[in-house]
Amino acid sequence: MSGAVNGVTAHRDATSVAPDPGAGPPVLSLRDLVVEFATPAGVVRAVNGMTYDVFGGETLGVVGETGSGKSVSVLAALGLISTPNLRRVTGEVLLGDVDLLTLPTAELRRRLGRDVAMVFQDAISALNPVRRVGDQIAEALRVHDRTLSSTAARARVVELLGLVGVPHPVTRHDQYPHQFSGGMCQRVMIAMAIANRPKVLIADEPTTALDVSVQAQILNLLRVARQETGAGIVLITHDLGVVAETADRVGVTYGGRIVESGDVTRIFTRPRHPYTAALLGALPRLDSASDRLLPIPGQPPDPSELPTGCAFAPRCPISRGRAVCTEARPEPVPDGSGASACHFPDEAASLLTAQADDPPVDQDDPGEPDNDPAPVLDVHDAVARFPVRSGVFARACAWVHAVDGVSLRVPAGRTLGLVGESGCGKTTLARLVLRLVEPTGGRILVDGDDVGKAGRSQLRRIRRRAQMVFQDPYASLNPRLSVGDNVAEPLRLQGLSRGQRRGQVADLFSRVGLRVEHADRLPSEFSGGQRQRVAIARALACAPGLLILDEPVSALDVSVQAQVLNLLADLQRETAMAYLFVSHDLAVIRQVADEVAVMYLGRIVESGSVRRVYDDPRHPYTRALLASVPVPDPVGRADRQRVPLGGDVPSPVNPPSGCRFRTRCPIATDRCAAEEPPLRPVAGGYTACHFAEETVGLAPEVPA
Amino acid sequence: MYGHLVRRLLQFVVVLLLGSVAVWGFTFALPGDPATVLLGADASAAELAAVRARLGLDESIVGQYLSWIGHAVTGDLGASYYSGQPVVSDLFDRIPATVQLAGFAMVLTLLIAVPVGITVALRPYSVVGRVLQGYLTAGLAVPTFWLGLLLIIVLAVRLRWLPASSDYVPLWENPAGALSATILPAAAIAVHTSSVTARFLATSLGEVMGKDYIRTARAKGVPERDVIRRHALRNASLPTVTVVGLQLGGFLGGTVVIEAVFNYPGLGRLLYTAIGERDYALVQGGVLFVVATFLLLNLLVDVFYAVLDPRIRLT
Ligand SMILES: Nc1ncnc2c1ncn2[C@@H]1O[C@H](COP(=O)(O)OP(=O)(O)OP(=O)(O)O)[C@@H](O)[C@H]1O
Ligand code: SF4
Ligand code: SF4
Ligand SMILES: [Mg+2]
Repeated sequence: MSGAVNGVTAHRDATSVAPDPGAGPPVLSLRDLVVEFATPAGVVRAVNGMTYDVFGGETLGVVGETGSGKSVSVLAALGLISTPNLRRVTGEVLLGDVDLLTLPTAELRRRLGRDVAMVFQDAISALNPVRRVGDQIAEALRVHDRTLSSTAARARVVELLGLVGVPHPVTRHDQYPHQFSGGMCQRVMIAMAIANRPKVLIADEPTTALDVSVQAQILNLLRVARQETGAGIVLITHDLGVVAETADRVGVTYGGRIVESGDVTRIFTRPRHPYTAALLGALPRLDSASDRLLPIPGQPPDPSELPTGCAFAPRCPISRGRAVCTEARPEPVPDGSGASACHFPDEAASLLTAQADDPPVDQDDPGEPDNDPAPVLDVHDAVARFPVRSGVFARACAWVHAVDGVSLRVPAGRTLGLVGESGCGKTTLARLVLRLVEPTGGRILVDGDDVGKAGRSQLRRIRRRAQMVFQDPYASLNPRLSVGDNVAEPLRLQGLSRGQRRGQVADLFSRVGLRVEHADRLPSEFSGGQRQRVAIARALACAPGLLILDEPVSALDVSVQAQVLNLLADLQRETAMAYLFVSHDLAVIRQVADEVAVMYLGRIVESGSVRRVYDDPRHPYTRALLASVPVPDPVGRADRQRVPLGGDVPSPVNPPSGCRFRTRCPIATDRCAAEEPPLRPVAGGYTACHFAEETVGLAPEVPA
Repeated sequence: MYGHLVRRLLQFVVVLLLGSVAVWGFTFALPGDPATVLLGADASAAELAAVRARLGLDESIVGQYLSWIGHAVTGDLGASYYSGQPVVSDLFDRIPATVQLAGFAMVLTLLIAVPVGITVALRPYSVVGRVLQGYLTAGLAVPTFWLGLLLIIVLAVRLRWLPASSDYVPLWENPAGALSATILPAAAIAVHTSSVTARFLATSLGEVMGKDYIRTARAKGVPERDVIRRHALRNASLPTVTVVGLQLGGFLGGTVVIEAVFNYPGLGRLLYTAIGERDYALVQGGVLFVVATFLLLNLLVDVFYAVLDPRIRLT
């Protein structure tokens, strides 16, 4: 697709994110970029007047929810959209003096990778699986410098691999992407992007698919890359924490354009657009759990029918139906170091203060749940192993220790949060509870019934009392049944009549905040958040005593996530259901859970009340995790010294001897390799570390 | 990689053995007694018994199979019921002709399929792309024998450019003659197989062009030609290799219909005649050869696949 669509009237005056005075000319400017796709449902205007500047040596965070046009704008700017339904790209993309949109493809390509480079989300699939990693980096060098010899290129690639922190660069040079972890692939992508010392580096969700500890490594690396190359970085993300942690300036996107921009501290402390303020209110916090999140009502706008006035008007808490909001599209008005595209920018900050006036109610610390005579869920020493087959006869030659001796209890009306990085066994544990995975050992009781020993009919009864909600509601709903029928399905299996079912479905719909009139629609007609509500409604149909929630909000946007989290909290208050809430997101767990269990390589390394685990973590792993999570608060980020955990989670096939964390633990000793630390009572919680008493005095960056 | 190959090799042996049992058993399922066929309906019982003994038909079925497969392993497939010649030498007379036809057909197939597949994948909406898509549809629909007849009528009978019936002319003795003798049957075959292959290539190339790593290559500044050559084609060729391997196996098994249409002295026509004559020894030997070639090619495709795809090679 050639990007040679000539710019129309560019709003040069529409001030974009303005620089600090004296920062020199911007290295990259988007001016009133409009991108449209032709779809069967009509024209989709994915980007609607995106305007921003990036200056050399700075990081511009572009933050916004799904579908707000963050990715499409940069891909269109660089001529990288190749779908045949691209209808129009107008505006200007100025790289220095050149408008990239006017260049023929061949000319444009000469600049890509040399002057402006990109780092993509999901680095594993962004690398060619059949070509050596080193060759792929070398290609970036050699397309722009035909005179470079292959030996010189190789030497430079090895140097680059070392620079981005890939261990053993000489060996790694000749390996293939599938031999790298996700984090290592992202390092390779960064090496490729900085190979030619570009003026601009655009990183589109560079850490979204990664674990927090690896995310922290990659964000550090981007900082190094900026120092090395002096490039201006555009960091596109949906994560306000990542922005607060790394950006100098921020642009907030909504409905295909930047609605507010400015200095990072200003944006987070004195937002001048109600959307920014509302996003901050909807965000679960790691540093302090608020009693209740403030979700933004409704959903992000549909880019195929953008309103004529302000795109945020239908959800805006301060518009109060003022006509100007629905009639005139607010243009960004520069103020101080930034701009706000709102007719009433001064009222936005009041949203934040209003929240601050309403101090978070302290979470009631649970009593000793161990005193509870009969927990709804009682997992005792559960074990799940999977064979790894290989060799000529596909014999099981090794075992994946997915869950290896885990015990937990969840009493009625309480939430146990289970956190850990990918591959630590969280989901397997959740599936064990319903025996969707056959246990290798241990005992799991739901309401006193042994799940492992249950016969067919008893298991069916247990599965009615314990329901599961998955991350991807679309995959768990039957796409050919209406959402009403999906919800009614468990009722039908119970033998309720049609009329009874209708009544109950209506009741369930109103409980989860769905409109009963929509019961006849198909799941595909709903947004992600609504589909998750449907999935929750279906789980509630059998009036279960236990909900197992496996990453239920991970696919949702912040504003919608807050709606679902609040819904779950309300339902729990009404019915005293017990929740087993699995998530990789420590802030979400802090928000929802009473008790927390931290998993690492199939084992629980620390557990206890939320207070104990978050405010007084004793296990070095918990401490490192907490230190890795980006905090959405730029104030004082310079003082937050953090040394991210090195390396990746080891393979659960042959976990390290002794303490499984010892390969990444900064304070490991010989004893840790020899003796496995038991999960033992420490400071009002449980910690599996030989030195749990000594970690408390340690700063987050533990001395080696 | 080695574990993978060893496993495939063992599989090859097992499947080949099972195949040999099937080939052997299948001739028993056919109606008609070879001895009766050989001697005619009014042969005496003694004559029949003598012929049966000569052919080894009086042994138990298992015994017959074991002695047959035992000999087969040493390269002895018995003697033709009719000519009395060793089956192996009958087969080997015809194999060069079949290999030559198969080779020609394959080269033609690839010469057509690769550019057509690439064009259809990259420019599906251009005029050329649409025309080629029409060719693919037609190529799949037109029966090969009919196309063969058409070619004969037009190019050989009407225009007299090429001979109507193809004799085997060895390539190394007379390249021009070999070409003119083989080109028509090869073309008749290649129209169909190139359509299949081009479709496969176009589908997988179209899929690959939407992959993230293609976008990465573009973002690096790689010119579009090289994006396709260096990044897309190798990935897109992976599924195509399998199809091409299967097709080549099919060719080597003898393209029975086309050999009959062009009266071409290949393996296919040999087997065709042998079946008509109930020459079981020849049929069994020939089919066993075809099955073995097919399986062997499959094995080679697997090895080649592993060479192309490091994800298989290195695990
Ligand atoms: N080929 C296409 N055809 C039609 N619509 C498209 C196409 N590509 C993207 N869109 C639409 O453009 C809008 C903006 O998408 P974009 O990928 O830029 O969002 P984003 O802000 O990057 O979101 P995310 O956080 O999910 O990455 C979305 O509504 C998307 O559905
Ligand atoms: S312009 Fe009106 S609707 Fe839009 S954000 Fe401002 S107050 Fe809200
Ligand atoms: S037991 Fe040793 S290795 Fe494990 S966490 Fe404690 S100090 Fe680290
Ligand atoms: Mg995106």
